[in-house]
Amino acid sequence: MSNATRNRIDGADSTAGDLLSRGVLATSVVVFFAAWTLLLQWVDETAAVGGVSALKLLGVGLVVVGVGLVVVGVGSRLGYVDTAPSKTAGVPVGVVFGLLWAAVGGLLGTLALGNAAVLWLPVAALFGLAGFLASVLPREDVGATVPGAVVLLLLGGFVAAGGVNAGWTWAPAWSSAVFPGSELVPILVVFATLLGAWCAGKANEGFGAEGRQAGAYYLVGAVVFAMLGVLALLVGFIVTNGLATMLTRASLAGGELTVPLVGVELPWPEFPFLTNPTGGLFVEVPGVLPAIIGTLWLVFGAVLFAVPLGIGAAVFLTEYAERGRLTQVVEVATNGLWSTPSIVFGLFGLAFLVPRISGGNAIFVGQLVLGFMLLPLVLITSREAILAVPDAHRDASAALGVTKWQTIRSVVLPAAMPGTITGVILGVGRIAGETAPLLLVFGGPPYPSTTPNVLGSFELTAQPPFVTNEALLSPASALPYQLYATITAGVFPKEIFTDTQFGWGTALVLLLVVVGLYAVGVGSRLYFRRKLHHE
Amino acid sequence: MTSRRPSVQDVPTDLRAAASRRAAAAKRWVRDYRSRTADGAVAMHVVVFTSVLATFGAFFAGSQWTVVPFLAFLASIGVGWVKYQAEAAKALTLLTTVATVAILALVVSFLVYESLPAIRARGLDLFTQVRNPAIDDPELGEGLWNRGDVWSLTPMMLGTAITTVIATVVAAPVGIAGAVFVSEIAPRRVREVVKPGIELMAGIPSITYGFVGLTILNQYFYAEFSTPTIGTYFAAGLMIGIMALPTVVTVAEDALNAVPESIKSGALAMGSTPWQTTKSVTIPAGLSGVSAGVLLGVGRAMGETMAATVMLTHTKGFPSPVFDVFSGYGETLTTVIAFEAGNASGLHKNVLFAAGACCS
Repeated sequence: MSNATRNRIDGADSTAGDLLSRGVLATSVVVFFAAWTLLLQWVDETAAVGGVSALKLLGVGLVVVGVGLVVVGVGSRLGYVDTAPSKTAGVPVGVVFGLLWAAVGGLLGTLALGNAAVLWLPVAALFGLAGFLASVLPREDVGATVPGAVVLLLLGGFVAAGGVNAGWTWAPAWSSAVFPGSELVPILVVFATLLGAWCAGKANEGFGAEGRQAGAYYLVGAVVFAMLGVLALLVGFIVTNGLATMLTRASLAGGELTVPLVGVELPWPEFPFLTNPTGGLFVEVPGVLPAIIGTLWLVFGAVLFAVPLGIGAAVFLTEYAERGRLTQVVEVATNGLWSTPSIVFGLFGLAFLVPRISGGNAIFVGQLVLGFMLLPLVLITSREAILAVPDAHRDASAALGVTKWQTIRSVVLPAAMPGTITGVILGVGRIAGETAPLLLVFGGPPYPSTTPNVLGSFELTAQPPFVTNEALLSPASALPYQLYATITAGVFPKEIFTDTQFGWGTALVLLLVVVGLYAVGVGSRLYFRRKLHHE
Repeated sequence: MTSRRPSVQDVPTDLRAAASRRAAAAKRWVRDYRSRTADGAVAMHVVVFTSVLATFGAFFAGSQWTVVPFLAFLASIGVGWVKYQAEAAKALTLLTTVATVAILALVVSFLVYESLPAIRARGLDLFTQVRNPAIDDPELGEGLWNRGDVWSLTPMMLGTAITTVIATVVAAPVGIAGAVFVSEIAPRRVREVVKPGIELMAGIPSITYGFVGLTILNQYFYAEFSTPTIGTYFAAGLMIGIMALPTVVTVAEDALNAVPESIKSGALAMGSTPWQTTKSVTIPAGLSGVSAGVLLGVGRAMGETMAATVMLTHTKGFPSPVFDVFSGYGETLTTVIAFEAGNASGLHKNVLFAAGACCS
């Protein structure tokens, strides 16, 4: 009888064993989430449900999972449950269970014999070997469930029996931190339920290759879900905390816009947090306007510097240069620039650019330094985009009798434009959030009361530079720098916000700017890629 | 094989032969160039390159006359663009290429040049001294940073190592699981949502992670685990690991996707389940790319200094025992630069440059 038919019969009328393993799986998932709610402090550790503390409930959940696993495993071995197990659970499972048993043995040894490696190490080794053999020697249905279930039962039973409660602490000699039961138990339970879901997933598909696949998929799925959850929580946290600050006294029709010439006043959206300076005497709601303008100038200058350089170098490398030493050197140089930590660019700006250009922190130096960071990304992406232009286009153009440069200008560059623009947008998203070099070459006072007036500061002089711009050569603020300045400055000067509230608002604006740029970049890349493949 | 072993006597002959080959090639190139380029274009090339060199030289010397050769460059390239566009474009692209290489060369050489005084003053002790100077001279006080003439980067090197290890332990398994999920397990619909979502996550600025870590993670560990300070290596490493996740997933997923479909189909045709194919064929075949993803992601996150700068305590020293990740110490190579370079001078500044050279 083949696996396929047997599994289909299983699916047709779900047997008791099938129901049981599904129940175990569901319990594991529920306990997994419950442990997370405790870890994230959505539920207090001392909270009680029906007279039983939350921690004890977690323990009970683990015991239920453990008992269920034993029943499924042993039931399958005795033939009560219809499964298709392999001869053995395999060495990887043996190693995992062996390590778990070794940990249990080490703990028991320490408790029983005292905290000396000579005493507990042999016990741990013995337990580990026993766990390994217990999972490798029997048939898979027992080997893949029972040894793991025993660990779950021990842990769950200990917690459920009240061996660990919220006030219990563990202060090992090697650590400055003290581990309280209220945090340690949920952390252990998260890993234990992952183990339970793995075993139950295998049992649910009737062991064998199919079962192992199901188990692995449950495990990977749970890990990925936790990862996405953490990342989503992070963003959600910034949004919920920052929104209150950002929308302080904001209204869709509260402001007034005076139409020039006519003099009629129209209702107009008002966002004081986005349109007010940070410092200053008469500012009621401090805002981040200087930082927004500063970021815009930084990005503008960096793009102006890096995009022509990057595209020019990409054109030379792909169209003019033959593959040889020069292209290799440039490749090494771009990779080097790409992998240099951003703070090193800041150091370079501090040592080389600042004394030669401004003699102090300045917008212009910040623009150049961010331009250095943008350069490799523009070069790499535009080079890839140019390489992706089919040679047929170039040949067709050459067949018309035009020169190489005309081909490049009228055929190659337009075709490579979408890829290049995508690369530039992604790069701009990256440098707009960059803080480290700005600390060294750019940042001004933490709570600026004026926005940098770059356009209005150009002046002609008779002295050698002939054109000077005071605003470009003086420090300013940018969104990431503003966030750092708020964190380090400590006390916010206005009473309306605390520095943390102002920080959340700044972080949200920064997040919106950067993630917005990234969304445009990623979206346009998807769009162009799809267009390329459909043609 | 009967070829004669090269000996020392051959070196001059070889050199001479190579030099004459080079000279001949150069002569040929010059003749080609002259015959293909109009006289005016040659003159333009000469003026452009000379003026660029002069601009750089004047800038390097810190002269206020930098603007003059720069204007000469603009004028010559402008005239050239009108009269000999193709030649001007070629010269411009060559210039941009050289500029890219020159920027990296400048960054590296300045880093080395500025860190030389520190190395000259401290020798190898800068990177190896762990002995506390207070043992010899109790008046100096504890510490290896700015105690008399003692500056040592060892505590920061240890801090970098600790945070990197923690970040890798967090990011590698979860990131690889994410990559396997996106590339092998997820149905097409899910993948089309999850993948761009993760790429968006890669764009979140490190200072934002740092702010969240400072206000939530640090406080959590301080309140619940009674850490001696608000801010520990563990919290910073954890945050760096989370920060590295999107990059690890994206790069590792690309590597798994690059495994040829025919190999996977072959394994499936042998009767193995999709998971067996993933486990025994796809992951081993893409292993180099996957591990590169982990290295790149964690390295990237370590280079993004700000999260650690905001979260760590900037106390320099060795935790005891070394793996006590909850100790009151906290400083890495990059954070010390970000925290102190703004108002450092003299040897202090040179030491920070040495730290920069150490971490890049």
